[in-house]
Order: sequence, then C-alpha cells, then structure tokens
Amino acid sequence: MTTEPRAFATVDLGAATVSVALIGKLDRSWRLIGSCALPSAAGADGAVASLVERLRRADPDLLDRLGVGGPDAGDLVRVEARSANARTLAIVAATERSLAPLVAAAQRSGWLTVAASAQTTDPLTMTRMLLDGATDAILAGATDPPAADERSALGELAALVAAVATRRPDRLIVLAGGMAERQSEFGDSTKRAGETVLAPAAGTGPAGDPLRGLLLELAGPSTDARRALGAAAAAIADVTDRRVELVEIGFDGATRAIAHPATANGPALLDLAVVPGAGLAPADPDDDVVDRVLAWSTVASDRHRLRDRLRELRIAPWADASGDGLDLRVAAAHASLARILEATPDMGAHGVPDLVVAAGGVWSAMPPSLVALTLADVIRRPGASQLVMDGAALLAPLGGIPEARERRAVIADLLDDLLVPLGTLVMPAGLRAGRPAGHVVVHATASAASTDLGSGDLALVPLDPGCGAIADFHFRDAVRLGGRGRGFALDVAGGLAGLLVDLRDVPMRLPDRADTRRELLRSWQATVRPRSHP
Amino acid sequence: MIEDTELAMVPVRRLVESPVDAVFTLAPGDRALVETGESVVVGAPIAERLRDPRLEEIALTSTVEPVPGARWSRDGGAGPAGVRHTEDGGELLFTWRSRWRLATGDVPDPLEAPVAGIVRDVQPGTSITLRATGQGIRGVVTLGGPTRGKLRMATGASGGLRPGGLDVGLAGTILVVGTRIDAETLTRARAMGIRGIIVAGLASKERRDFLASEARQRAALHRLPPYAVLIMDGANRRPMAGPLMDIFELLAGREVAIVGDPPTLVFDAPELTLPTPPADLVRVRGGALLGAEGRWLGPAGLRRFDGGVHLEAGRIRLGDGSVATVALGDLERFA
Repeated sequence: MTTEPRAFATVDLGAATVSVALIGKLDRSWRLIGSCALPSAAGADGAVASLVERLRRADPDLLDRLGVGGPDAGDLVRVEARSANARTLAIVAATERSLAPLVAAAQRSGWLTVAASAQTTDPLTMTRMLLDGATDAILAGATDPPAADERSALGELAALVAAVATRRPDRLIVLAGGMAERQSEFGDSTKRAGETVLAPAAGTGPAGDPLRGLLLELAGPSTDARRALGAAAAAIADVTDRRVELVEIGFDGATRAIAHPATANGPALLDLAVVPGAGLAPADPDDDVVDRVLAWSTVASDRHRLRDRLRELRIAPWADASGDGLDLRVAAAHASLARILEATPDMGAHGVPDLVVAAGGVWSAMPPSLVALTLADVIRRPGASQLVMDGAALLAPLGGIPEARERRAVIADLLDDLLVPLGTLVMPAGLRAGRPAGHVVVHATASAASTDLGSGDLALVPLDPGCGAIADFHFRDAVRLGGRGRGFALDVAGGLAGLLVDLRDVPMRLPDRADTRRELLRSWQATVRPRSHP
Repeated sequence: MIEDTELAMVPVRRLVESPVDAVFTLAPGDRALVETGESVVVGAPIAERLRDPRLEEIALTSTVEPVPGARWSRDGGAGPAGVRHTEDGGELLFTWRSRWRLATGDVPDPLEAPVAGIVRDVQPGTSITLRATGQGIRGVVTLGGPTRGKLRMATGASGGLRPGGLDVGLAGTILVVGTRIDAETLTRARAMGIRGIIVAGLASKERRDFLASEARQRAALHRLPPYAVLIMDGANRRPMAGPLMDIFELLAGREVAIVGDPPTLVFDAPELTLPTPPADLVRVRGGALLGAEGRWLGPAGLRRFDGGVHLEAGRIRLGDGSVATVALGDLERFA
C-alpha cells in the first residue's frame, strides 16, 4: 500500500482559457489520461469536475485504478499554473536615447510600459504619468556612467521621481544605471512600503541580461505561468537533448523561450522573454495593431470593422470562435507572433532550433495545420525544425514544479503525450524567383514519394504523426538550409500537418494590394488544411 | 449532475453589483475638496479639475516645511495635501535648485458627485474613490462622464435612435437605446441637454467620431454639462439583453448615474424588487445568432464548427421554438 498519488490534475488558468488535464500513473509511468480547454469563466474547479465526469463515463475502471474518487474530484492533487495580470511600469530617463533600451528591456520582461524622457516631456506631464492610478511601478534609468547629454537633466529628473516616490510610498521604484547613484535623494527607503531597487544599466545583447532578469523577477510571482514555461522549455531541451524554442500566445501576453541542453562545449542555456504587449487581444487596439492583423486576414474588412471585432475579441475571447471568428484569431495570432519576435531581436542569435513548441490558449481553438502555417508564416529563417504543440496545456503547470529533478522526471514520462506533433518545417532561402526549385524525395519506412518544388510555393507532403522519414532535397540552384548547397538529406518527423516545405520569401514579402494578399493567404491556408475542412 | 456541471461552464454575467467603488481621476494641479471618510451627497463638489494645467516655478518663503502634493496658495503658504481650499495657487510637485515646481491653472471645472456615498480614498494628483450608495449595473466602457439624470426608455431592446428621434423635452434624462447609435445622434443628444445614453453596442468609428467631437467641445474652453455614454456589450450591433431591459424598465423615471471607472450605471432604489431571470436563460453573445436568447436544454459535447474548429457546445431552445447548437463560448447566462 502506498500513499503516493496515482493521479493528479494539471490546471493552466489563463485570462481567457482554463485548460485542465488528468495525469495518471500507468505501468510505472505518468500518462495523459484526458484534457479539455474551456472559457476561464468556467473556473478551475468546474473544469476539473467536468473533465473527471466525462472520463468516468468513458472509462470508469481506469479512474478506479487511478484512485480518482468522488464525483467532484475534490480530493485530486492539482498542479496549477496561473497567468498573473501584467502590471504597468512607468519608465523615465533623461534622453530618448537612454530611454529606448530601458523600454525594450521592460517590454520583454513581463511589464506593460508607459514611457517619457525629460528631453521630450515636460515635468507636469511626466508627473501625471507617474502618479496615474494605472501605474504600478516606476523605472528611472540612465546609462552608466551617464552620458554628457544626460547629465544636465538627471538632477531634476531624480527630484521629480523622488517626489512621486514620497507621494506614493506603495510604489516599487527601480533606479537603473547612473540613476542608482542618486539613491540618497530618495530619502530613507525603509520608511516606504514599496521597495526601492537598484539595478544595472540597460544594454543590448548579453550586456542587457542583468536588468532584464531583474525586471522579470520584479514583474510577478515566481509561480507565474509564463515564467514556468521557461523552466518547462529547459526541461524539454534537457530530456530530448535538442535546442528548443517555445512561443506562447495568450489573451493578455506572450512568451518566447529558447533553451539549449548542456553540451561538452558549454552549459545549458535558457533565454526567456515575457511580452505582455504581444497578447492576442490588446485592451485598446490602435491603428498599428489593427493594420498588423488586417495584413494577415483572409476576410475583407476595413479598419473600423476590424477594430470592432478586436474589441469584441477582448470582451469575449471565446465568442465567435469559428468561421470568420477563426480567421480573426489566426490573423491576430500572426500579429502577436510578429510582435514577440520584434520585442526579442537578440534571441534570433541563438540559431535555428531543432524543436519549435507552440503553447497558449490561442492555439487550442485552431486546427493544428493552421498552427503550423502561422509559425511558418511569421518565424522566417532558413533551416529545418520540428513543430509541436502543447495540446493539453501541460507545460506551464509542469514547468512550475519547484524541484528540477522531479520536473524533469515528469516531463520525461509525459513527453510523448504533452507535445502534439504538427510536423516538420523545412525553409530554404536564396531561391531564384519564378522558376522550378527542384524536388524532394521522402523516404518513409516502406515507400518513397517525390514532390516537385516551385520557388515561392508552399508544399505539403503528408507524413503521419509518429512517422519518421528521410527527406532528400535536390535543388536546381544552391540554397541556404543550414549550410549552402544544392542537395540536402534531412531527418524529418511527421505530424498532424505533415512535412511543410516552405519555399516562400525569407523574409516574407506580402502583396500590398489587399485583395491579392487575401487571395494568396487563402491559397496557403488551402494548401495546409485537410480537404474535409470547409 | 453533468448537465448542471455543463451549464456552469457558461460564463455568468452579474446583472447587479454592490458595492460600487467609483474612481474619479485627478491630475496634478486638480484639487480634491473631500477627505477620506467623508460622506457626500448627490451634486456635492468633490474636486476641481484644471482645464488648462501648467507648470510654474516658485520660491517658498514659508516657515512650514512643504511636501510634494501639498496645496500652496499665494496668500496662505503650503498646507497638507487635499485639505487647503484656495483660489489662487496650485499643487507642489517637487523642488529643484531651491525652487518648487507648481502645477496650477486658471480655469477650474468643478467635479460634482454623481452619486451619494462615502469617500474611501483621496490621492491628490491621482484619484478620489467613492463608495456609492446603491447598486450598479456594469457595462464594458463609459465614454465621457460622470453624469446623472432621470432614466428613460428611448427604444425597445432591438431599437436604434436617430437624430430626428431627439427633442428638447428629453433634456436632463439618460436614455436607454436598444441596439446601436451613431456619433451624430450622440453629439446632438449632448447639445439638447440629454445627460447620458445607455446602448448595447457602439461601433469603433462612432466611438472615435464622438470622442473627437467631445475633445473639440472641451477645447472651446467653456464648461460642458455632464454627459456620458455607457456601452453595455461591445462594438457589434445586437439587441440589449432582455434581463437588463427588464431592470431598466423598472428604473425608468428614477434618478440614476453613470460613472466611468468602473463603467457602471448606479442607482439607489432599495425599495424595488429587481426581477431575477430564470437560471436556464442563456444569451448568445457571438456568431450568427448574436443577441438571441433562449433556454438551456443541455450539453452537446465537443462539436465541429465552421473552419474545422472543435468547441464544447450546448443546445438551446430559442424564442421561436427552434433548437440551436451553440458553442459554450458564445453563450452567457445571468445571475
């Protein structure tokens, strides 16, 4: 007789979606028994009870073996991840030049931002911004040491921020770079309810890591679902010994994590960015957001109409999820994904990952083929990657398991269940436009199939989930695909979408004419979607 | 059991909320006229907002140690934040090189309490929070405001309002408009002295045009009467929810208020028994049946919808007797 639970529930409670799953121990391994995703209004308790009830009706013996008692599953152990609401950081600096890297660091470190520099904003407007009820914390920064053009304004700026800190003692104050030297002007920090934190200066590339890491720590609790995704990505990289890139799009924010396993040449790597501004449904969609979504929409619409639909999406994220509503979500996912990449330009330097993981509520109501196409449309870089999806939203709860060894063991057990294979994306670059590009022969277990490739095309080669194959590419001209050459043999894995050979432009260039663009987008969607889909 | 569980999956919309903590935004230089814990009555001035705030520099000679956020007057020196009522002065922001930066202005607009209540919090330069006496019906956004007036039904749940439907006899009222309204009607309503509009949906274009008109009016430097638009559902055209209409009809002829944060219609009518909708009443809030109402029949399980999307669904009986299968995410129920 053991007291160890033989089953537990995972709960990923987001702003729009609650995803629950039942994990059970079968033959000494943890396995996914069932999962469902519902509007978050259903609540975690309701969603778990609903899932257990359905599983009980489907296979009561299995639940008995797992020891899942009572009809409401109230005694079930839960591993829960919750997405915290992003807070707003007001950022001030002496000059626009010193402000920009501070804003860039904060935007990818879990904060919504408002910003102003003394160079362009008068003290009254700046005070109003800092005192605003929507502001949760203040970051005042300067380069270290302060540059010549900053020095003359830093004194007055520090006096302004110190006055606000006196008036709002509950607010977190972060003094970065050269501004930290002015801490004495902020008085006795022990008398304030809010923390006063000294931080390193902002920087680009690895030089900016310390400030970004600190801001991420300050942004929310360590148990936040988006931060847990970083730990999950690292565990997957470790278990699979592959370079992993995870992209999560949620209602109120987005995450990008790159994890590499430890090798003989270096330690393991984890680069995590949480970008609240890249959420699927911004609270007040401005023209930039609307235009970005419009660029990827296959439905004819004007700006006003699309803004209406985005507002409706914000108010009721699960409403109107099919038909034109699906098109809106697909287009909005494209726009969100593009914003994540723009907010994290440094992360591109980590190279092409072996495995791309799509996570987040937006994908749960989207056919898998469209998930693969969205990733291919936006993440444009020559190379080959396997695409998978966190279909049961297990990664955030499992990534939140505090003990690393236990986390790794559970993820290793569940690896085949938690990552739904979408297929393999092969994206060569340097093709000559307007001519045949070559062909690919896919050698599966018992057969070989040849497919002609045309420059600018999107080719889908069916390859079922669980199937591995060798894809022999023969190009007419030399292309970039990892290295440069005309012939490549790649190990590819199948999935719900299959082998996606993407011969479109890198980077992507869409037609300016809206009707031509829509027609092109429709043709790409038709290529990847199963024939049975209307 | 399972049916109850599945109905619980349908998002609940609370018809009436209590208490309502209304937040009134202040900017640096605005003057709070109330203190925390103070009771206010309807129409009492609670703050003065500067229409034309500007920054000035002053050298203080007062023996009192000034602090950021304190009021300063040219004749009275500095005092604690939020309590000194002066006509010629401003709000001390910060000191730099022995001189204080002062937020001041020439034209204050009084902010009157649209509801009675107790002041919960005063943060000079940030906000006043007032716990309203009564209950509130939450919308999704308020444009303009706050305001107060006599509630009047202008249309039915599915009706719209055009400029020609307005007349001066409606001055001082807050009108309930069923489905939708355009910017021209909104601005005309303001011009006729109507105090507010409650509408199910307002399109982004109309919202933008109305806000631009409001901004032009404010730039004209004359005090505008209070006016607000409370949007109950969103941006698309749809009828007002039946249970909401039932409450509005009950409140018709009574004084109500619209506040902006949170976007809420506030009323104080303890003697009224508000109608309670049936537990199985559901309303469609997305898709082809937008705005339709019906009765919950039971879960339909995971269904495939247009576009190859699989969604949890339920069956509902509509008003005309037909049965429809609708994604759970497209439904809402009331409590």
